[in-house]
Amino acid sequence: MTHIVEDTLVRRARREAALALAIWLVACVYSVTFCYLNGYERTADSLTFVLWFPDWVFWGIVVPWAICILLSLPFAYRLMGDEPLGEAVDSEEPPASNEHEVQHA
Amino acid sequence: MPETVTQLSVGYGPIIMLLAMMGFSVWLGTQAQKAVERGGFMQGYFLGNRGLGAWALALTATVQSGGTFMGFPSLVYTHGWIVALWIGSYMVVPITGFAVLGKRFAQLSRRTGAITVPDLFDARYGDQRVGLVASLAILGFLTFLMIAQFKAGALVMKLTWPGTETMALIETATADAAQNAYDTRYLIGLGVFALTVVGYTLIGGFLASVWTDMFQSVLMLIGVVLLFVLIVPYVSRDGMDQPTLKAVAATGDAYAFGPGFSTTGLAFLPLGAAVSFFFTWPIGGVGTPAGMVRLMACKDTPTIRRSIVLLSFYNGLIYLPLIVICICGRALMPGGFAPDEIVPRLAIWAAPDVPGGSLVSGLILAAPFGAVMATVSTFLVVIASGVVRDIYQRFLRPHAESNEIRWVTYGVMVLLGVIGVVANINPVQFLQKLVVFSTSATASTFVAPALMLAYWRRATAVGSLAGMLGGATMVLSLFTAGPLVEGKPMFEPYQLLGLDPIVWGLAVSSVLSVSVSLITSPPPDELVAKLFDALPSVRAATKS
Repeated sequence: MTHIVEDTLVRRARREAALALAIWLVACVYSVTFCYLNGYERTADSLTFVLWFPDWVFWGIVVPWAICILLSLPFAYRLMGDEPLGEAVDSEEPPASNEHEVQHA
Repeated sequence: MPETVTQLSVGYGPIIMLLAMMGFSVWLGTQAQKAVERGGFMQGYFLGNRGLGAWALALTATVQSGGTFMGFPSLVYTHGWIVALWIGSYMVVPITGFAVLGKRFAQLSRRTGAITVPDLFDARYGDQRVGLVASLAILGFLTFLMIAQFKAGALVMKLTWPGTETMALIETATADAAQNAYDTRYLIGLGVFALTVVGYTLIGGFLASVWTDMFQSVLMLIGVVLLFVLIVPYVSRDGMDQPTLKAVAATGDAYAFGPGFSTTGLAFLPLGAAVSFFFTWPIGGVGTPAGMVRLMACKDTPTIRRSIVLLSFYNGLIYLPLIVICICGRALMPGGFAPDEIVPRLAIWAAPDVPGGSLVSGLILAAPFGAVMATVSTFLVVIASGVVRDIYQRFLRPHAESNEIRWVTYGVMVLLGVIGVVANINPVQFLQKLVVFSTSATASTFVAPALMLAYWRRATAVGSLAGMLGGATMVLSLFTAGPLVEGKPMFEPYQLLGLDPIVWGLAVSSVLSVSVSLITSPPPDELVAKLFDALPSVRAATKS
C-alpha cells in the first residue's frame, strides 16, 4: 500500500478553510436569528438605542461584527500558519493538461 | 451648513478631482508597466509576477465595487436599518475570502504554472474541457457586467459636470439620464471614461488594475470618514437616537425594523432573503474569478494572513459608518430626489463650511467614480486573460511568441473598450440587478468545483464539469423563471421557497460535483500526488 505524505500546507489550509466556514455559519445563524426575533414586526414605541444603533442592530450586527474584527487577529496570527508556496514554474505557455505534465518546483 | 437641501450647486471641485484621479490612475499604469517588464509577459501582465502584498490583496480581492458607494447607500436611505442585516455578512468576508481558498490557490498556481482560473482547473484535472467551460463561464458572466459598468462611469462624469442639478448615479438616474442619453455630456463622459480605464489597464495590465483599485479603496475610506465627521455629529446633536427617530417620523415605524420600509408593498428583506444574503456576499466572494486570480497572485502566506486582518478593520470602518451616515441622510433629506443621489447630496450639503468645500465634495464624489473605474479595470484584465490565455494560446496558437501574445492582448482590450462604448451609446439597463445576477451565477458555477479542486483528492473532471454546468443552469433557470412564470421585470428571479437563486445554485452544484465525482473513475494517482503531496525535496528534508 502506498504511503501518502500529504503536503503540510494542504492539511493546514483544509483545516483553516473548515474553521473559516464554521465562523461564517455561526455568524449567519446568530445574526439572522437574533435580528429576526428582535428586529422584525416591532413598533417604534419599544425601540431603545445603543450609540446610534437600534438595540437589535447593535446586538445582532454591530457586536458580532466587532467580535469578527477582533477574532481576525488570533485567527490570522495564532491559528493560521505559514508554509512555503514553492517556486512558480514557467508560465509563458499553458499547463500541458493532456500529458499530466504538472511540474514541480 | 444650509438648512435646505434644494438648489445644491456642484461647482468645479468634483470635475477637478475626477480629472486628477484619472491622471493619477494613468501614472499608476505607467509605473505598473515598469514592474511588469521585470518578468515574462504572461506572468507579469496577467498576474503581476505573483508579488501582491497584504495591502494590495486586502483592498482589492474581495467584493467591494462601485456598488459599495452607490447601490448600498441608496438601499439604506430607502429601506432603513434592515439594510444592516442585508450587508451584515461582510463581517466574515475577510475570513472566508482569504482563508477558504487563499493558500491552496496560491500554491497550486505555482506548482502548475497557472496564470488564469481556467488554467488552474485544466491543470488540476488534466482535462481541457474543464478549463474551457470555466473560461466560457467567466467570459459570459463577466462581459455583460463589465459593459454595464461603462454606463455608471459615464453618468458620474456627466452628473458631476459643473452646473448639473441631478446627481443620481445609477439605476434610478435613468429617469433623467437615460432620456438624455444622447446628450453631449454623457457621450463625452463615456468616451473619456473608456479611454482612461482601457488606457491605464492596457499599459500596466493586472498590476495597474490592482494599484488603482487599492488607490480607490483608500479614497473610499477617506470619503466615508469625511462624511461621518461632517454629517453625523450635526444630525445627532440632540441625541444619538435623533437620526433614527427623525427618519421614522418621515417614513414610518418600518424604517427602524425588518423587513424594512417600502413604498411598493413588497417586503425588502424577508427571512429567506436575509439568509440568502449571508450566502451571496461571503460565499459569492469566494467564487469570484477576479478574487481567485488575486489569490493566485499573492506573494506568500503571511500576505494572506495580514490581508484578513487589514480587510476586517477596513470593512468595519466602511460599512457600519456608512449605514449611520445614510440614516442621518434620511433625517436631513426626507425625499424629493432619486435615492442614488444621497451620497453626492450629502457631500455637497456638508462641505460649504469647510475650507476648500468644493474640493472636499469632489474628494467624496470621486470615490464612486474610482470604484467604477477599478471594477471595469479588473474585469478587463480577467476577460482579456480569458480570451488570450484560455482560448487563443491554448487552442489556436499554443507556441505563440511573447510579442504576438502582447499585441493580441492589447487588441482584445481595445476591442472590449469599443464594445463597452458602442453598447452604452444607448445605455444598458438593470446595472444593479446584473451585479446580483453575475455574483450568483459565478458563485454557483465556481465555488463547489473550486473547493474540490483545492481540497478533495477524489474529485474528478466530470464531477467538476457537472458542478459548474449544474450550478450555472440552476441560476439561469431561476432568473429566467422570474419574468416568465411570475411576470417579474428582467433579472428579477423566481425565489424558490423564498430563497435567492445563489442558495439553490450552490446546493445543486455541490450535490452534482460530489455525486458525479463518486460515480466516475478516480483521477490518476500521479496527477493528484503532484498537486496534493509533499514534494520529494520537502519529504527528504522532513525525514532528515
